[in-house]
Amino acid sequence: MFNFLSLIFRYIFIMMIYLFIFGIMRMIYLDISSMKAIIGNHPYLKLINRKDQLPFKVKEVYVLDKETTIGRKNGNEIVIKDPYISNDHVKFYVKEEGVFIEDIDSANGTCLNEERIIDMVMLRNGDRIKIGQVEFLYVDY
Amino acid sequence: MMKKFLMNKMPQTLLVFVNILSMFLLYFYKERFDKSILISVILLVATIYISNYILLKISSGDHYLFLVVSMLSSIGIIMIYRLNPVYGFRQIIWFGVGIVFYFIFYFCVKRIKGWKKWLNGYFIISMILFVVTQVLGTKIKGATNWIRIGGIGIQPSEIIKIIFVFYLASYYTNYTKKANEKYKFLGVVYSYIAFLFIQRDLGTAMIFCFVFFIILYIYEEDRKLIYYQIIGGLIIGIVSSFLIHHVQVRFIAWFNPWEYIEKEGYQITQSLFAIGAGGFFGTGIGLGHPEFIPEVHTDFIFSAICEEMGIFGGIAVIMLFLILVYRGFKIALNQYDKFFKIVAIGITTTLGFQAFIIVGGVIKMIPLTGVTLPFVSYGGSSLVASFAALGILQVASEEIQMEQEEGDGYNS
Repeated sequence: MFNFLSLIFRYIFIMMIYLFIFGIMRMIYLDISSMKAIIGNHPYLKLINRKDQLPFKVKEVYVLDKETTIGRKNGNEIVIKDPYISNDHVKFYVKEEGVFIEDIDSANGTCLNEERIIDMVMLRNGDRIKIGQVEFLYVDY
Repeated sequence: MMKKFLMNKMPQTLLVFVNILSMFLLYFYKERFDKSILISVILLVATIYISNYILLKISSGDHYLFLVVSMLSSIGIIMIYRLNPVYGFRQIIWFGVGIVFYFIFYFCVKRIKGWKKWLNGYFIISMILFVVTQVLGTKIKGATNWIRIGGIGIQPSEIIKIIFVFYLASYYTNYTKKANEKYKFLGVVYSYIAFLFIQRDLGTAMIFCFVFFIILYIYEEDRKLIYYQIIGGLIIGIVSSFLIHHVQVRFIAWFNPWEYIEKEGYQITQSLFAIGAGGFFGTGIGLGHPEFIPEVHTDFIFSAICEEMGIFGGIAVIMLFLILVYRGFKIALNQYDKFFKIVAIGITTTLGFQAFIIVGGVIKMIPLTGVTLPFVSYGGSSLVASFAALGILQVASEEIQMEQEEGDGYNS
């Protein structure tokens, strides 16, 4: 009886363990692909600095919505606790014609490709935006 | 609904199935109709399910680690129960204790701030543990690494492994570029390894070395220093393989075990026979003869799995460890806090190398050194310490609340 059961169960066991591994891998895969799905068809900012060289929290990717503000104050859509960033620092507008960036009278200014911006400027794919100590890459969808 | 259930809960469900099936199988084992197996497996399943549920509620971090580890432990418990029901039952109790420690460490490490500041504390605690082991330790199988307290044997090196990782992490978080600090650090690390050598715990010494090299490789700015360490380590390894008898025996048994089959090579050849006898799907649980291998329930559990669950079972165990290590590195990459980043790397490499050393050892890929296969082997200290390490890894997988140091030294 036991011998018979054991001979059958060996296949079942192995099948189940592999299904388990498959299940875990699938969950991990879904996790990773859902992160991409969030970005989807939106323009986003990608961090250029190495994360561990900045002494404050900052994410790798920020998705830009219709109007997105960056600042140190907690009310902003994107909050970065960099002391060089003003309370309300910069604002992004996503419009039909394209994506625009505007500095909202920040103390240290915003640089677009090493040049300080004054007015509202339209962004192009691959632009480098420097805010305080943080540098972002603008990526079109 | 059904589909969603299948997709999201599939691993948990399979885990329960594996445990229940194994209970069913072991109930018939040797026609003994052991009632205690019913209770123990129900306890085991309940523990896994409930702790998984609690974890999903309280932790925002990684949820795969615990599942993977429960699977590994389940395979281990089935195998140990089949080898020796008394040990199997004890292993289930240790599993429960391990989970308790998992949650204790999870909450302690999460709540208590300032782990990164106690550099000297870690050093002092581990040296005390080493000295206590040296004085009170009993010699088991050539290694002085056990102390007995009230009938329970404890292996302090398992705890020191975690403290060592904390020490390394704490050093590199508070790193200032002073020369004598660096020499002190190297001295401390080598005193750890020297103590393990004195206690003849070669496997653990090897793990410490590897973890140290990895952390050094990632964080040391003085690149030359790393190569010196690696070359030095290699020289020590080669020299000790010629001079120290204890190491020599391992190398002899590794190069050609068949020549010394009746003595030094006995264990390893039996292990190879067992793996060979298994074939692809194994002999079936309870139908092989893994009991011919000495120490099969601790160090050689992998050969027993290979014999009775086949090489596919063995590969599955290795794959589970792979997922564990992959998740560990992923956690380390995503962690923002430097201390916990290094801790995550350290714990992952400790578990990974430990698995590599013993699996490699029993299949005669590298010289055999006796360490346990984490989460699978029989042994209370090993299981509890591994679960404690996993609890810390769980903390590292979450976002750590930083003590914000606003407006100090910068402008604005």
